[in-house]
Amino acid sequence: MNDAKLDFLKELANIGTGHATTALSQMLSGRLFQLVVPDAQMLPFAEAAEYVGGAEQVVVGIFVVVSGDVKGHMAFLLPLDSALVLLRLLIGDNSGEMNELARSALQEIGNIMITSYLNALSKMTNLLMAPSVPGVAIDMAGAVWQSVLAGAQVTNEVTVIRTEFFADGESIEGNIIFLPDDDDFKKIARLLGLGEM
Amino acid sequence: MAKTVMITDDTAFMRMTLKNVIEKNGYSVVGEAGDGEEAVALYRELRPDMVTMDITMPKMDGITAIKEIMKIDPQAKIIVCSAMGQKPMVIEALSAGAKDFLVKPFDAERVVESLRKIGS
Repeated sequence: MNDAKLDFLKELANIGTGHATTALSQMLSGRLFQLVVPDAQMLPFAEAAEYVGGAEQVVVGIFVVVSGDVKGHMAFLLPLDSALVLLRLLIGDNSGEMNELARSALQEIGNIMITSYLNALSKMTNLLMAPSVPGVAIDMAGAVWQSVLAGAQVTNEVTVIRTEFFADGESIEGNIIFLPDDDDFKKIARLLGLGEM
Repeated sequence: MAKTVMITDDTAFMRMTLKNVIEKNGYSVVGEAGDGEEAVALYRELRPDMVTMDITMPKMDGITAIKEIMKIDPQAKIIVCSAMGQKPMVIEALSAGAKDFLVKPFDAERVVESLRKIGS
């Protein structure tokens, strides 16, 4: 992949997740909550699952279908360990159990992460990108990928943006997955003056 | 008497968060709806002073619910609380009759400020 495209993805990730992180910090009662975006990649579908922890790691996936001027699929995937840290900080739940409230908190976090990213992209391109009601899956990464990608054009390369948060000295890993339909990715790139990608 | 508020959001976590903020600031939460359909039915029954409305929800989305509630009560005071803050969506919500639009995640002060402004 060319450097311009990668820079573009990283910049997008910074803008999209920056806003969400500020507010997540507020949701965590002002606890220090820093974000770094250490890595953004475009990967063939088969490699993407491996990149996000390997097919057998248990992960939490929050996923949506995107409609409007840009169509595609998006997801926020985080390892179960990270999800449990987040739940402890967010709702004070130490049980490690996935009850209804825990599940809905994760759904909302995923929704906010995904939508903030889409909002940033929409602002830069003037295109509407509306997410569906998020689905939530907790399973081995391989199975979660199947849920995320149900109906997606799997010929596409998958954009994976790895994010890392730090709260109360603990690290929380998350991965934002963006799969616009082929034509729509080109549309976004053109509108942002990046030429043919 | 405390002003009454109905909360509409499809996640229990967000309903809980909003409820805490709203009740801490002297308002009374009289109902909670998990989708647009429920919101319309509950509005008809409860006639709250104000409503918070999510946009992306199952069964009936928030925009449709705003339109339906405005049909029941053209004076309804609806505040959108949604992550979906893209311009066309904000414009659609406001022209459907919403009085304010808060983009999630929001801070508590912003919610209270909106309730004060819309409720007065």
